[in-house]
Amino acid sequence: MSAKKEFNVKWGMAIDLDKCTGCGACMVACQAENNLAPQADASNKLRVMNWLVVFELSNNKAFPDHETAYLPRPCQQCAEQPCATVCPVVATERNEEGGIVSQIYPRCIGCRYCMAACPYHARYFNWFDPIWPKGMEKSLTPDVSTRPRGVVEKCSFCHHRFMKAKDKIRAKGGEVYVRGVDNKMHCAVPEDGYVTSCAEACPNGAIVFGDLNNPDHTVSKLVRGNADAFRLLERLGTDTAVYYISKREWVRRLGDNYVPDEETQKPRQILPKKH
Amino acid sequence: MGLDRRTFIKFAAGAGAGVMLTPIPWKLLDDSAIWTQNWPWIPSLEDGENTYVYAFSKSDPSIVPIQVRKVNGRPVRILPVPGHPLGGGVSALSAAEAQMLHSPARLRRPLLRGQDGKLQEISWPQASNVLLDEIRKAGAKTAFISGDENSSVIEVISALAGALGSGDVYLMPSDAQDAAVAASLAGIGARIGYDLESSDHVLALGANILENWGTVMRNRRIFKNARPHSFRKAGEKQGAGAASLFLAYAGPLQTNTAAVADLWLPLYPGTESVLALGIAHLLLAAGKTCAADDFDAFREFVAGFTPEKTAGITGVDAAKLKQEVEKLLAAKSPLVIVGSEFGSGAGAVPVLAGLAVNALLGNVNKPGGLSLLPKSAPAFTEAASREDIHKKSLIRFLAAQEKPALLLIHDANPVYALPDPRKIREAIQAVPFKVAFNSFMDETAALCDLILPADMGLERMDDVETPYGSGKASYCISAPATKAQAGVLNAGNTLLQTARRLDKALGFNTYEDVLKSKAAQYGKVGFDDLAAGVPALSEEKATVSSFSFKADILKQAPAAEAGGGALRLAPYVRMSLGTAVTGIPPYNNKTLRADELDGTLMSVMLNRATAVKHKVAAGDKVVLEAGGKKITAKVRIFEGVMNDTAGVCLGFGHSEFDEFSKNKGHNVMELMSALPEPGTGLDLWCRTGVDIKKA
Repeated sequence: MSAKKEFNVKWGMAIDLDKCTGCGACMVACQAENNLAPQADASNKLRVMNWLVVFELSNNKAFPDHETAYLPRPCQQCAEQPCATVCPVVATERNEEGGIVSQIYPRCIGCRYCMAACPYHARYFNWFDPIWPKGMEKSLTPDVSTRPRGVVEKCSFCHHRFMKAKDKIRAKGGEVYVRGVDNKMHCAVPEDGYVTSCAEACPNGAIVFGDLNNPDHTVSKLVRGNADAFRLLERLGTDTAVYYISKREWVRRLGDNYVPDEETQKPRQILPKKH
Repeated sequence: MGLDRRTFIKFAAGAGAGVMLTPIPWKLLDDSAIWTQNWPWIPSLEDGENTYVYAFSKSDPSIVPIQVRKVNGRPVRILPVPGHPLGGGVSALSAAEAQMLHSPARLRRPLLRGQDGKLQEISWPQASNVLLDEIRKAGAKTAFISGDENSSVIEVISALAGALGSGDVYLMPSDAQDAAVAASLAGIGARIGYDLESSDHVLALGANILENWGTVMRNRRIFKNARPHSFRKAGEKQGAGAASLFLAYAGPLQTNTAAVADLWLPLYPGTESVLALGIAHLLLAAGKTCAADDFDAFREFVAGFTPEKTAGITGVDAAKLKQEVEKLLAAKSPLVIVGSEFGSGAGAVPVLAGLAVNALLGNVNKPGGLSLLPKSAPAFTEAASREDIHKKSLIRFLAAQEKPALLLIHDANPVYALPDPRKIREAIQAVPFKVAFNSFMDETAALCDLILPADMGLERMDDVETPYGSGKASYCISAPATKAQAGVLNAGNTLLQTARRLDKALGFNTYEDVLKSKAAQYGKVGFDDLAAGVPALSEEKATVSSFSFKADILKQAPAAEAGGGALRLAPYVRMSLGTAVTGIPPYNNKTLRADELDGTLMSVMLNRATAVKHKVAAGDKVVLEAGGKKITAKVRIFEGVMNDTAGVCLGFGHSEFDEFSKNKGHNVMELMSALPEPGTGLDLWCRTGVDIKKA
């Protein structure tokens, strides 16, 4: 893997699986925000373009002891990206303050190495030209370019919203990056100044977004030292920016490949103590 | 100097190296990357000024307050209104509403069925004349069906019917209808509301409160605020931040609500009323009482509903039921919500039983309890109240031998949404002239002789008056977020204009005038503020001097027999799949999981024990049969289904709309048949037995 880049600001999510009901509002909001084209037959999941998918989880017990939960899965925005390592044309990288893994469509040659490398199956290949029913192109947002057939796509943490938030500060004559008490440069975008579309839409407040490195941000408070928080496939060392929260042990256990008697892993204490 | 082989190679190599030192190859590579991704059929983005308008998603039956983001006047995104008393987030259906404006299934020109039986485009003046002629011909034999129970269009319809001398105005069956009939039977001259905001213990019987019952976005916001995120320090067993709301859900399936509830009580389909009576039995045994007119008769009748007997009928474990009742008794503000599992077909008896339980809990008009909300007066003196319209069964009207001469169907799709669609189709086909006032080409519109394209919620000014499930009376205006598309008109305005042309003017020139008149009833907030998104709320509660448990009707609550089939049918709703009037919105079919729809084959959910018992396995193609009606499905093993129960998703099987809705599974309503509910005037279709066999 490439050398890990650390940033003063690390945008991340905490998704509370005890609050998610799997309603799909986040999935639809994501498609509308990021100009994903609709597909008449969306049942073949190998051909469907979705940046965010809600999976159904089961405790695998028989009725009446069965429990279910839902897990929304955006791109995990790994600090150690398996995808960027294998990309032959540097179409995906993580080199901007904030730690968001980019996807540069004009560079992508559609080889799909990154899809094979991604352990979270968060990357999707555009098998079809993005065609909207006649007139529906009027409902496209001006924020996210439409992508052609033949390129790989993925969740960008609504990066365009981050850019807009920074523009807003600049327009008021402010500085986007300011020096903090730790003498490091930090982003001046406030906690509610940049929120992803899925987090904004979620009617249950299951998705919390913010700077994982900022102890004042809710997301940071939620995951720092919380034994109910976990990341998917933590032991792969991908150091993802998406945390999940559940007080249910069986849900946490599904986050990684545990042997039967093994305790679920506590979140790695990788976050700096002080901002 | 001659050009020998050596010189040529040197020149070529030099040229190659030289070119590589220039930006030319990189520029060409860059250009080719850009231009091979820049095809004319891929739409370009159009930037412009961003504006925001407060409105409501009227496509979602739970009525979602939304902010519409517009770019150059084009609605592009639906965003939540976090502080709104009826809202909080957006639903999967409302989130797609900007795109639905351009759905391929949208009706854009009036259509008239010609002599050859085919629909032909006509102009609006022609369509208005046809409508006028048909109403003149039919006169008092004109009937109306509407699917919009929350806006004042129903009052316009009712006033027009009154002016024509017709009493045939019907609303599509819903939880609101069941509650309105139950309130009327109990002698409560008020609307039933639920103060979820202040409750610390909610027991939802059948009502899928986080998906499709009541004010869903408000319910979800309350749930969100009452449940802090779990935080547990390493080594501790229990996390900090206790929930201020205990949520219990009783239903046959582990639905979205059950997935996050503190307690799931598996309950056989359609047995909510029996479970409520079982709860009442335990409350009476705990010394609870109340001042109902027929309290003694009720107590005597409920004495038979011991936990064991209740368990036998409902499938709810007696010990778990007792525990839950103990929790209800210990709660400060307990609330029991009874509703249908899939939005209709449960009848009024479950709500009546729920009223009794809440009355015994002593929570009526108390914080966190059941609220009695004042009714509002119709804007038209001739119009029947919504409650009176709810009292009439649409199913019985359609089943009657005598048919109206003209049927005007507004914002409703009875051919798809009612049980036994074939019978409904035949009944509607038997009407000499049918008019649909719809936004989309649905199964009912396709049967009609005249189709009038209606504007969508985002294109019109409309109102929302105390949606069912609210804890307070409220009045809101939904401002138009965009101009109506060419060729579509507002149903309210068109009906008012029709009345004028019939020389039966209803007292208002435009639908906006009707809304202004309604708004005046809620005087505190001016019309302009209402139109700007400020809700008018009323803290007023209706008082009731006496009421009845209606023990005589509750006694007739039929036992929960599964209609003769081997399995009990448990339909469920996913709001992301739209409604009968929207079809599946183009952006929403991706929300289906692979195990819910395989190509055109929908799934039927069985638990493993049930599958083994009926000799089917995961992935098997099976036929579900009820009363000679059949649908095919693929078996999905899901342990969140009760024994001998089949979970099936509603919303599939459209034969109209567009490619996003058509050819996907079957309409589960095909398996259901309506039965009269004794004593209430309503009908039931929540108890269906089905047989299953391999296809």
